Amino acid sequence: MAKAPRIKIPNEVRKGEIIQIKTLVAHEMENGLRRDQGGTLVPRKIINHFACTFNGKPVFACELEPAVAANPYLAFSVRVEESGIFRFSWIDDDGTTIEAEETIAVS
Amino acid sequence: MISTGRRPTVIGLAVAMAASLAAIWVAMGTAEPAAQLPPLTIDGPAAARPWVRYSGWPTRDTSRFSSLSKLVSPPRPDTPRKIATPLAGDPAAGQKLVADRSRGGSCIACHVMGPAGSADLPGNVGPDLSEIGLAGRDDEWLFNYVNDARVYNPETVMPPWGTHGLLNEAEIGDIVAFLKTLTKPAPFKSKLDDPSQRPVPVEQRDNLDAMINPAMWAVEERAPALWKISGPNGSACVSCHAKPEQTLKTWAAAMPKWEARLGKVLGVEEFVTRHAKATIGQDWLMQSEENTALSTYLRYLANGRPIAVDVESAAAKLAYERGKELSNRKIGALNFSCADCHSADKGAQKWIRGQWLGELRGQLDHFPTWRTSQQSIWDIRKRFQWCQVAIWADDLPPDASEYGDLDLYLAAQNAGQKMSVPGIRH
Amino acid sequence: MRPVSRRDALALPAQFTALALAGAPDPAHSTPAEAAAEIEKFTGGAAVEPGKITIDLPEIAENGNSVPLAIDIDHPMTAESHVSDLLLIAEANPWPRIARFQLTPMSGRAAVATRIRLAGTQTVRVVAKTSDGRFLTAQKQVKVTIGGCGG
Repeated sequence: MAKAPRIKIPNEVRKGEIIQIKTLVAHEMENGLRRDQGGTLVPRKIINHFACTFNGKPVFACELEPAVAANPYLAFSVRVEESGIFRFSWIDDDGTTIEAEETIAVS
Repeated sequence: MISTGRRPTVIGLAVAMAASLAAIWVAMGTAEPAAQLPPLTIDGPAAARPWVRYSGWPTRDTSRFSSLSKLVSPPRPDTPRKIATPLAGDPAAGQKLVADRSRGGSCIACHVMGPAGSADLPGNVGPDLSEIGLAGRDDEWLFNYVNDARVYNPETVMPPWGTHGLLNEAEIGDIVAFLKTLTKPAPFKSKLDDPSQRPVPVEQRDNLDAMINPAMWAVEERAPALWKISGPNGSACVSCHAKPEQTLKTWAAAMPKWEARLGKVLGVEEFVTRHAKATIGQDWLMQSEENTALSTYLRYLANGRPIAVDVESAAAKLAYERGKELSNRKIGALNFSCADCHSADKGAQKWIRGQWLGELRGQLDHFPTWRTSQQSIWDIRKRFQWCQVAIWADDLPPDASEYGDLDLYLAAQNAGQKMSVPGIRH
Repeated sequence: MRPVSRRDALALPAQFTALALAGAPDPAHSTPAEAAAEIEKFTGGAAVEPGKITIDLPEIAENGNSVPLAIDIDHPMTAESHVSDLLLIAEANPWPRIARFQLTPMSGRAAVATRIRLAGTQTVRVVAKTSDGRFLTAQKQVKVTIGGCGG
């Protein structure tokens, strides 16, 4: 059963405020060095890319390597000038993409 | 794997459900536990049989050493061995040996030993031996202390390296030769390496924040989903327990408890197995993913409550005394008891290599816990099993009655501790 | 969650230790030279200056599987001048790169946090690139605990 990514973001901010967004996605981040119970090397399979856009414009992105811990946690800052939609995407080595979005209102 | 004998009849099920509903009614109306007993599957094991360690683990035969279920270790010698002539050992080989983790954790797990292991995070359960070469100890004394320290101190924590066949005589000779070269304090590269100066780890993470503790997924998503899944007979947990966050707010704080129908102490995980099978027909064996999620959830519901287990009733008193004996029983090739690491007058509040040892009190309120080194949730029975593996002792299946007694004894040591589940640890 | 044996879960240090004990060259453990090469690729050989970079890492990590890391750089984040890229390097991991972050003026602040894997005691290095072509760096040593029990 797929777990939805978790995102912690304030609902409402003052215009121009710098907020911190915390993101978490469930993923084992197989580094390719681990052996399973039978002794076979488990192949690498990680989230290798994360991107966050706001109202379509890039805010923050990250290229991840196997040294990022399982269930990748990424926190970053954003200066919010207007209300809108944040879109988050995580790309797996196998090409699949996990997506989420959050709206924010500026008072 | 669990046989209930015969399938419950519709009437039998209705009666069971009515009894459970009545129990909930009574529980909601009063603060006292319900008079009705929750249905349990009585026969059969609650965990997989045959019980096997994970197949990737180095297989090591420790069956000739005592465990929590048998006392079979070789007896200790009555008197020290006489060593007539000085030993001829190789100090360089000895220096390598004392830092070799594959040899039962290594000597520097417990002792600072000068330059051994590059003085990199040695432990201090035992005394600092960096200047033992100046202590005027002869070869016979040093040999016997490593071979079997019990001939000098029957209460020692030292493993009987010779008697238990962990080191042969030549190797002990090499270690003795190395010890005699130790005449200067250890050359620590930093204060972090020195166990007498190393800062004690303090767990400060917010264990109930899902951003920090992956075990919270089990509590927030998996368990609530399992709660609603219908079993083979068409009912689910929710059929009788509509609002567990209200009706089960204190239940887990009183666990484990003596269960007369089983003749053993019943912990939360085993309760889940036997109760789910008896009521909704689910096979949620101990340490299965479903059982772990639900057990974590049930204990989570009692967060903030002080642990308060019954040790007053006659059967519970006996179980407590058995648990106490078990926690003091020396087991495994390394000949350790729980108390050797976790009691205040022995190993507690000291370091084994870079790991801090805690007292028994404070070791249960956060179980089941997420383990970052394992990327999984460990319940307390699993913790018991792996402590045994670590000290080279036979572990028992998770539903062993000995673990129940130990579980109750440990819970009693934690009486009053407020629950905060799931924990998060290395 | 499938069961993970203790040895498997500690695959990074265990692999390293096993190969080291066998005396064989260890392909699963990078060297400071490889880390330097990785940084060179990022900077294109340009000069790197010590920067006002705060690296929040524990002195001792009880376990190398999940070590919290936070970075904060005292630098404007305007269209004219901002931190655009952050490279994280672990000198003694199987591969030196940990992650590379891309920031924009909309980031507001050059501050990121994550959790990383460290194969053993080592230095973590941060190299920041600014939009006006400067490179800043800082580093911190983390001691990764060696467990006491045999496994």
